[in-house]
Amino acid sequence: MYILKNALISIFRNKGRNILIGIIIFIISLASTIMLAINNTASDLIASYESAYEKEVTISFNRENMMKKSDFSSEDGKEKAKENFSNISSYTIDDIEKFANSKYVKSYYYTYDISLNGSSIQKVTDEKADDSKKDDFHFDKSHGQSSLDFTLMGYSSAEAMSEFIDGNYEITQITDDAWDNIFKGKYVFISDELASYNNTSLNDKIELSDENGNKYEFEVVGIYKEKSNENSMEMFSNSANTIITNADEVVSITSSNNSIKGKLNPTFIIDDYKNVSKIQKEFYSKGLDKNYVLESNEEKVSSSLSSILNVRSFSVTFLIVTLAIGVVVLFVINMINIRERKYEIGVLRTIGMSKLKLTIQFTLELLIIAFISLIIGTGVGFITSKNVSNTLLSNEIKNSEKTVSDIKSNFGGPESKGGPSLEHGYRGMPNVQAYDKVDAVVNVKVVGELLVIGLTLVFISSTSSMITIQRFSPLTILKERS
Amino acid sequence: MKKNNNILSIQNVSYRYSDAEKDEYAIRNISYNFESGKVYAIRGKSGSGKTTLLSLISGLEKCSEGSILFDEKDLKNINLDEYRSHDIGVVFQSYNLLPFMSVSENIILSMDVSGIKIDNKKARALELMKTVGLKDSYANRKVLKISGGEQQRVAIARSLSYDPKIIIADEPTGNLDKETEEDIIDIFKKLAHINGKCVIIVTHSPNVCAMADKVYDLKTNK
Repeated sequence: MYILKNALISIFRNKGRNILIGIIIFIISLASTIMLAINNTASDLIASYESAYEKEVTISFNRENMMKKSDFSSEDGKEKAKENFSNISSYTIDDIEKFANSKYVKSYYYTYDISLNGSSIQKVTDEKADDSKKDDFHFDKSHGQSSLDFTLMGYSSAEAMSEFIDGNYEITQITDDAWDNIFKGKYVFISDELASYNNTSLNDKIELSDENGNKYEFEVVGIYKEKSNENSMEMFSNSANTIITNADEVVSITSSNNSIKGKLNPTFIIDDYKNVSKIQKEFYSKGLDKNYVLESNEEKVSSSLSSILNVRSFSVTFLIVTLAIGVVVLFVINMINIRERKYEIGVLRTIGMSKLKLTIQFTLELLIIAFISLIIGTGVGFITSKNVSNTLLSNEIKNSEKTVSDIKSNFGGPESKGGPSLEHGYRGMPNVQAYDKVDAVVNVKVVGELLVIGLTLVFISSTSSMITIQRFSPLTILKERS
Repeated sequence: MKKNNNILSIQNVSYRYSDAEKDEYAIRNISYNFESGKVYAIRGKSGSGKTTLLSLISGLEKCSEGSILFDEKDLKNINLDEYRSHDIGVVFQSYNLLPFMSVSENIILSMDVSGIKIDNKKARALELMKTVGLKDSYANRKVLKISGGEQQRVAIARSLSYDPKIIIADEPTGNLDKETEEDIIDIFKKLAHINGKCVIIVTHSPNVCAMADKVYDLKTNK
């Protein structure tokens, strides 16, 4: 009990120095609170992003491997490579269903496209540009009919419409019940270029035909435009001749006509990126050709998180630097403190106070000051951290809000205004809002972390006094008689 | 059964500083005995090892050779913090009081450290102040605000606060005028002869040596 009394007496006696120590700990705890709050907010945002992004894998052709195995130096080699390529067995929608029946796969969607000719409409074309695009030698397994006019792109669901989600396509005109119909029957979205080229508008019928002369009629329920500028030097965009419908329609065309080969692009939503190789193995065992590999969207997700990850790592670095400087400054002040109080230590030791009790007293003094400063620092940090972290992360918050509204407008408006209902939410759109509630930023976890930081700080910086006390010989004050 | 009346016994004690040369002893081969109820003076010139001997007796240092027995227990085998806070009261030449504390606080601190159970520590402090000739009004004064002689009295009162069996004083009158010196000598005499303490005074003052029951001469070892 007298140790506490002594500690309190000493604190009041050395007001100036203790206020200085208090201010330092206040600043450290303030900075720490804010940094921890930023760190927590960033972590929340990251978690939100990660949960918003579905973990996906797609099947892609292992081109690199194929090239390695081929010999293009002779005509024979080229022919052999072509033969090998055409021998690779493709996969069907049934295969995809089989693949997806795995404990690692949560769900799946796919696009299925074929090439058709126009019968009632004309292909949008710029002959000059088309000439230059012809390749001498190119692999295209499924597009045997790539010379046909149009690509009929079938989507299995709105989730599969990644061009709209990623912002490449945007609906410009749409009928009221378009989203109710597009996945059900013979309805299509066409590009604005195609529409104006053929003077086609909503609710008009268009007719396409295959090589064998079979005709297929569709009703235009939406018009979209391509937003990307990749082909800015050309007259028309890449998608000008892409007609969008549902996958079932494409299936019905291919199943009634075996000579038409479609290109199937499945996407599997999986439980965890770390299972990708297991999933690949499973797919192989279920019949997937080994010339295909699975690719995940992990890199894409992490690249979209890079700026927020930077903010988070900055906060950690800043925290560490603050704490390191704090510990050094406190250590030095403590050392000076102990040097000045050698006499007091000597007296207390000569009257029989043990080293342990002395150490406890000196640590207690620092602990009391630290505790008070921590409370004030955390309190002030508590009030300011909300604004600081919201300001620092405002770009992230704004971006995510913008993405949500962008995607909605790409789809021609929100669900309430006729937009599609997305089973898995808006892919790639985290549900991020500005943190209005302080407790979302500085919570029990932060306070707990601060307490641990504070105590560690006190113990590290009081090691100077501990060591001095342990090594101090009371005889010193006998020799240094004033 | 005790073999003798010695409360403290120094037996063939030598002390060499850790940084000293092999043969350089601060004190060498000393044997003294001390009994309760007597005043002892240890006399010696500068450099004769008076302070070293005092630090050994008061348990601030451990002797290099030989042994010091308190109540027949070797100091090497007992807790010296306990020994200093219970069994021996040390009075330093420079008083070694805590300047930021008042007279009574300094005395009470000693009681606190010793862990002695006293209901009213303040009353006990006032009583001790009376023993050493300090008025009650000094109780709340900071020790820096009182004279050297008065500070020496406070130091003696502090050393008595936990009722130790031995009082050891280092040049207690070194800084004091003659009149005050006599007062202090008187206090020590009373402590030994009336209160039955063993009082050891390290000094070169002839007055102190004259009143002591026994004088030990410390020879220079250098």
